Amino acid sequence: MDSTLQRAAELLSQARLPVFGGLFTDVKGAAAALSLARKLGGVVDHAASEGTSRAARVMRETGATPASFGEVRNRADTIVVIGSMPRTRDPKLLDKLFPTGATLPRPGDNKRELIVVGSKKGKTPSGVRVTEIGGKNALPELVALLAAAVREGPFDIRDSALAKKILSAGERLRNSAFAVFVYDPAELDEPVLHTVLEAVRHLVKTTRAATLSLSAPGNGEGVNLCSTWTCGLPVRTSFAGGVPENNMWAYETRRLLKSNEADALVWIDALDGEEATPPARSFRGVPAVVLSSRPVQAGRDDVVIEVGAAAADHDAAVFLPQIAGIGMVKATAANSKKPTVAEVLSRIEALIDAKGAA
Amino acid sequence: MLVKLEGGRIIDPAHNRDAVGDLYLQDGRIVEKPEGREPDEVHDVSGKIVMAGAIDVHSHIAGSNVTLGRQLMPELPLLAAAEGQPILPSPAAWGSYATGLRYAQMGYTTVIEPAMIPTHAIQAQTELASIPIIDVAGLVVLGNDDYTLNLLRKGDAKSDELKDYVAWTLAHSKAIGLKVINAGGSEAFKFNARTFDLDEQVPAYGVTSRGIVEAMQKAVADLRVPHPPHVHINNLGIAGNVDTAVATLKATQGLPIHMAHIQFYGYGKEGDKGFSSGAPRLMEAINKHKNATVDVGQVLFGQTITISGDILRQFDGRRAANPKKWIINQGDGNGTGLVPYKYKKKSFVNALQWAIGLEIFLLAGDLWRVLFSTDHPNGALFTRYPEIFHLLMDKNERSRWFDSLPEATRQVSTLGSISRELTLSELAIITRAAPAKLLGLTDRGHLAPGAIADVAVYTNRRDKTKMFSAADLVFKSGKLVVRKGDVVDVTWGRCYHVDPGFDSQIKRRVKAFYDTYYGADPSWFGVTEAVSDRPDRFATIRCAS
Repeated sequence: MDSTLQRAAELLSQARLPVFGGLFTDVKGAAAALSLARKLGGVVDHAASEGTSRAARVMRETGATPASFGEVRNRADTIVVIGSMPRTRDPKLLDKLFPTGATLPRPGDNKRELIVVGSKKGKTPSGVRVTEIGGKNALPELVALLAAAVREGPFDIRDSALAKKILSAGERLRNSAFAVFVYDPAELDEPVLHTVLEAVRHLVKTTRAATLSLSAPGNGEGVNLCSTWTCGLPVRTSFAGGVPENNMWAYETRRLLKSNEADALVWIDALDGEEATPPARSFRGVPAVVLSSRPVQAGRDDVVIEVGAAAADHDAAVFLPQIAGIGMVKATAANSKKPTVAEVLSRIEALIDAKGAA
Repeated sequence: MLVKLEGGRIIDPAHNRDAVGDLYLQDGRIVEKPEGREPDEVHDVSGKIVMAGAIDVHSHIAGSNVTLGRQLMPELPLLAAAEGQPILPSPAAWGSYATGLRYAQMGYTTVIEPAMIPTHAIQAQTELASIPIIDVAGLVVLGNDDYTLNLLRKGDAKSDELKDYVAWTLAHSKAIGLKVINAGGSEAFKFNARTFDLDEQVPAYGVTSRGIVEAMQKAVADLRVPHPPHVHINNLGIAGNVDTAVATLKATQGLPIHMAHIQFYGYGKEGDKGFSSGAPRLMEAINKHKNATVDVGQVLFGQTITISGDILRQFDGRRAANPKKWIINQGDGNGTGLVPYKYKKKSFVNALQWAIGLEIFLLAGDLWRVLFSTDHPNGALFTRYPEIFHLLMDKNERSRWFDSLPEATRQVSTLGSISRELTLSELAIITRAAPAKLLGLTDRGHLAPGAIADVAVYTNRRDKTKMFSAADLVFKSGKLVVRKGDVVDVTWGRCYHVDPGFDSQIKRRVKAFYDTYYGADPSWFGVTEAVSDRPDRFATIRCAS
């Protein structure tokens, strides 16, 4: 192990711009990666950061109107599910959002309703009225039309049946006591995210409304939060210039590797039950240090370090949607001796410090 | 190692001390002069001012709300640096690491994060553990959560259940005390209320704000938690809300209460603009109610962001967002509102808020009950404390600022007629001795033997801004961490909390509640030693028996 870590330290201390990618890890793993990236002047990114980066940028530009999972399932009377990803990502999503058991007191006396936009309604909870807004129109157009209906703005489409449905959905949303738009930011482009946010901001002038954004896979939100409290910025941040800089296009792992701007990769994939999609063609083309909880095909010169899977081999703080925040998940395996990502990265950092001091 | 601070002017109001003398530090504590033993290290501090490390009772430095603010406004440190504040123009200047360093440079050694969300306590405690040098503690927020409201609705014989629930929550989040934010108001917001007063009822639950605060005061008193309920009362920021503050004081019926950032409640509605200083009336009431303490929440002109669990108030405040972006986060319990804000010197209202805060300090009959804060970052960033110390200690400096305020503000403010200047001892009361006493942190805020060796040494200057911006020396637990304003050693502090004990039945009940309504397990958000890699991170402070 020691010689492997030594090789990793060697490889990284020679790198001009190492990128820390994958980052399917717990909060401690993320903190250790951020610490090392800062020391080396590297970049931090996450394998599922496309959606979180968009959401982060929209938030920086104009804000956000999130609601917790608990508030939505207990109190929303109208839930709008946008796109197909929310239910693909979590097949039980609707059952969770429309619980059959007791709920907390909720505003208004509307019956609960579901509006599905841009995908087939599929199987829906019994007893819940469902409206499907779909057809040939593209998802961004459907969202824009619905937002226009919410605002009672100009509205012109040929499909009169669809128009009727959308207008009626707009009216229902205006008459809701708590309307919530559910989406996965990885499925929506930024303009669509803005459209949804503006619809919510229109509704809250007279009633309650919010968004529920599906959390990214691989503890994407947890890593993002850790990055933010550590350096003030979310992932896709570079420490190369001393002052951290965030740029969702420039500091994306694949682009950095493809353009040869990054000359080393630290790939971290160590969460129970989730697998980060590795950069194309395994890790060829750039020297890599791979921390993984599963077998990895790597190049001859790459350094591969087997680590424990967070939440299986060791307790792990990760983002949990049910509490809309970071929570602790107990390890499922007893007495695993595998090191954690945080331990391995800290030891590599110590070796690099020692080299610097020598 | 024995360290001697030689010949400084020692200011220790907890022991009525303001005299030249020596101070000895050993093994992290202040000690008596050891007989027959030479110190290992001597610092000549003659002519300097020696105080205990400062303690901040109310500063939003960690947790999911603060980090949401960082996400909304990463440019805040850049704007602040552009306004001339002594911080790096980097988004990282608002991160955990820089927070610890900047506090230490000013001579602060203990800071309280005042709004941990129970379900997000792990994030709050993880963030706190990543702040170097200073000791910390967190207040945990209850009072708009459905578990509490459900208990109060029932109002039945199981009255001990609330006490157990409060104790369980304090222990589960490793908090030092309880915070209540616009009691019932955030819950009412969920039912589309847009205002909420002391005697209004929470929809569906029937309980009033008055009832919630009273129940919490009773629970905390019964549990003998040293820090009384730390209450953000109703109607923050609204003209005429001094009535609410006075009514809330009356409602306390002698039970201990801490009222947070009281400046934001010092507003009358007299005059052409319907906004006036309520400070004299407020201070008359506070001076009279000896069961109450307050922190001030002073504002300063400049860019900041407001972060508050008073979602109802923040929702209303969104219209004044500057820059124009805001977050209303409808979370479990209180939720949060985040609204960037720029206090402007040319604004009649902002200028009067500034004056009202200073009036509150200067009209205080008992400074042991009127503590320093800006409600960072809500009134002003903590990096600006030295400017406020200057204003409190130097009436010429105050006049200089006052004279540049709008004519309309100067006409209605009485600040110009107040000549009081706080002494160094009085400053040490509001920034050291009184916070320690209020929090039950008996081992700090003073310089008697046995106290933790948290010591700040300053060069006494007329320019108090300069004096307090950069301490000459700061010792944290006996270690020299700051020299001539520069951090020379990055140490790691501890987190203080209470554990008052509870009937273990509450665990089962809370578990069932979260399972039913949230599909969640309370163990997910229970704070353990594991949030930090340092084995001695947590220290329990005793609840008096």
